[in-house]
Amino acid sequence: MRHVYEDRFAEIEPLLNRVEKPSRYIDHEWGTLAKPDAAYRVCLIYPDVYEVGLPNQGIAILYNNLNKAEGISCERGYIPWIDMADEMRAAGVPLLSLEGAAPVAAFDVVGFHIPHELAATNYLEALDLADIPLMAQERTDDDPLVVAGGPSVYNPEPLYAFFDAFLVGEGEDLIVEFCERHRELKAAGLTRAEQLRELAKIPGVYVPSLYELVHDEASTRWGHTVPRAGEDVPEVIYKRVAADFGVTDPVPQSVVPYAQLVHDRLSVEVLRGCARGCRFCQAGITYRPVRERSADQVVSAVVHGLEKTGYDEVSLTSLSTTDHSCVKEILSRLNRRLADTGISVSIPSQRLDSFGVEMALEVAGEKKGGLTFAPEAGSQRMRDIINKNVTEEDLDRAVRAAFQAGWRRCKLYFMMGLPGERDEDIVAIAHLADHVVEVTREVVPPEQRGGIGVSISVAVFIPKAWTPFQWCAQLDDAEVKRRQQLLLASVKSRAVRVHYHDAETSLIEAVLSRGGRELAPVILGAWQRGQRFDAWTEQFELSRWLDAASACGIDLREAVQEPFPLDAKLPWEHVSPGVSRGFLEREYRRALEGKTTHDCTRDTCTGCGVCPTLGAGNVLVGERS
Amino acid sequence: MTEPTLFKLRVRYVKRGRLRYLGHLEVAHTIERVVRRAGLPYAVTQGFSPHMRVAFSAALPVGTYSESEWYDLVLTEYVPAPEALARLVAATPTDLVPLEAAYVDIRAKALTAHLTRAVYRIDMTSAEGLAISPADIEDALARICDRGSIEYLRGKKTKRLDVARTLTAFSVEHAASGAFQITLDTHQDNDGSMRPEILLGALDAMLAARYLPDVELPVLETGIASFLCFSVAAIVRVEQSCEDERA
Ligand code: SF4
Repeated sequence: MRHVYEDRFAEIEPLLNRVEKPSRYIDHEWGTLAKPDAAYRVCLIYPDVYEVGLPNQGIAILYNNLNKAEGISCERGYIPWIDMADEMRAAGVPLLSLEGAAPVAAFDVVGFHIPHELAATNYLEALDLADIPLMAQERTDDDPLVVAGGPSVYNPEPLYAFFDAFLVGEGEDLIVEFCERHRELKAAGLTRAEQLRELAKIPGVYVPSLYELVHDEASTRWGHTVPRAGEDVPEVIYKRVAADFGVTDPVPQSVVPYAQLVHDRLSVEVLRGCARGCRFCQAGITYRPVRERSADQVVSAVVHGLEKTGYDEVSLTSLSTTDHSCVKEILSRLNRRLADTGISVSIPSQRLDSFGVEMALEVAGEKKGGLTFAPEAGSQRMRDIINKNVTEEDLDRAVRAAFQAGWRRCKLYFMMGLPGERDEDIVAIAHLADHVVEVTREVVPPEQRGGIGVSISVAVFIPKAWTPFQWCAQLDDAEVKRRQQLLLASVKSRAVRVHYHDAETSLIEAVLSRGGRELAPVILGAWQRGQRFDAWTEQFELSRWLDAASACGIDLREAVQEPFPLDAKLPWEHVSPGVSRGFLEREYRRALEGKTTHDCTRDTCTGCGVCPTLGAGNVLVGERS
Repeated sequence: MTEPTLFKLRVRYVKRGRLRYLGHLEVAHTIERVVRRAGLPYAVTQGFSPHMRVAFSAALPVGTYSESEWYDLVLTEYVPAPEALARLVAATPTDLVPLEAAYVDIRAKALTAHLTRAVYRIDMTSAEGLAISPADIEDALARICDRGSIEYLRGKKTKRLDVARTLTAFSVEHAASGAFQITLDTHQDNDGSMRPEILLGALDAMLAARYLPDVELPVLETGIASFLCFSVAAIVRVEQSCEDERA
């Protein structure tokens, strides 16, 4: 190893007085699990600062499972904020793990979480600080294996050069299998290349160096990826899935931070997956099938988790918590249980109907801030295209119920630039917002109407891999601006505030979401030009990306504005969440015809292919309403 | 509805090791979680967002050690103090461990009003090659006291530390070769309190004027941790008490 495993806290201690939020770097939190004496070590890194990374449930699950495994110790790492990173470089201190304050380069495996596309430059920032070669190809037997996995692993190609392996899908068992096998292979004296070849045999493990890029007439400008000649690796790597979700630990979270976080609370994952089938949504495909925990399991997990951590808030997390077949029972049991403790329950988002509002009311207590709803599109025509199965009446009823119950503010999320969008659909967003204001004025007493606030947030649609819209282009900047103007001009009510999501970061998200291996040098170039923390608006500078891309001969705007032919081989199709291509094509065609598709947890199977391919199925603990 | 009987438990705890880098709010937050983990029957406030009835002694500057931090916790049921302490100890990170707990009158004055005396101990070593003696330090401190106040920067704002009002007494002891221990006896209240690191900054400037006349002095501001004429191993709040109850 290039670095020895040893405690180097004394070297960062003098820097703590000079940086903001020193508690990001001090560790010694309640509930850490690392085992100082273990012979095999893993460091899991979230590619952002401590406060953003700590609440991550994926890392909590892997951290818990690895530390339960015999002889394996798992520590955590985060990306030092720019002030600390610069101090560390100046002082010659490498990136350190949190628990042992040991050099990250001294671990056997370094695992990164891939939360979204905008973390790309932060992997390089971390590797550079850690003194680990940035390129997988340049690493030797003295370097850790650098792996990655997480929700945004489903188009790994732009990152292929930086990681030795990707772990695809639900990692609870996979990470332990991977590390145990790696430990054996290392002990047996295999070289790095030999180890990786063996590890690629574990289902769900993608070793990009064993695959190569092919450009032919069947593929897009990015080509497609196939096994290298002579390599015995699968053509398609399917995601791993916890078929029996009910047996997984419902309270993987153990570490209680000192720093005050954005999401500073206990999280209990009440269900996994969502089958509503919104056609723009990647998570709606990649988290299938839908699996619920029983009400008893959830309630006892909350009680036990609160005792263990001491939090004063618990969030019932999932992609669509109010779809849980027993959500009503769970909330009322928890409310009874937690009465007079000052502990509150929260659910991440509101379902867009009166049931959603009823559930929001269950958790709100006396405190009614704002409610958020996501109609996503303004017109029924457009909502049918994206398969957002809600009507204007649903929204009407939800808003009416909410404002009658005492809420005074609501926020509506929309997208712009969806496939098939016309000017009338943009105007419909404005009309819908105006209509919501009218509804609220009907139910709110005149003396309180001044407090009414309706805001609409409009993001630029980003086509994502493994969705029915994966073939679509992103709208160009000029057209985005024109439609934004049209929207602003169409809103009549002064109670409506309009917010736009940043279009510049959307460009980078879009290009990384649908691009291929040729983007790796662009990411490297952007980082070399000083780009890091892309997800932080004030740190994001588009020009660094554009310069880096043009140095590689790539025009990013042209790339994202190009639709792919429906029969093209796509850059990511060898790393699969199990959905069939036929289903995505059918959904795309139905979208263009304005035909909706139902939710397979409320009706029959719609044939997406996930269940048969992965050998799993929907598991509901009751009837969904 | 009659007020239920409530009990006020007064707890002394330490702040040491790495956890001295926690901010006041981070500590407060952590202790609320400790109380919940300890399973004590804590009282909550009424109103829109009910929260735990717990109150803390005055904020300690980030990075300073303490052997005498305090909180008052209101309980709805009587738990014998030794048992409550044992439960708190079991639920607290060791570097914030509580050392004593006792009940006080429910109407007892708030800690911030009660604890008007704070004693600090500073462990320092003179910089290499400088022959600073305890008498030099005493002399410099005495001159700072004569001036009455120190101006310093907090961010972009100029602030004044009122030495005359906050520094009650001081002493300097020789610990080992080149090593000293300063003890500051200070007064704190709503109008202000001693900031030992600012006093040390002023002391450094005073000594530098004599020992390092050619060196340019750094700006005196909050958060300073390195000095020209000496290095500081630790600033420790060793005691917080009520001046009126002084023995
Ligand atoms: S295979 Fe059928 S039941 Fe399973 S997730 Fe897909 S549509 Fe739903």
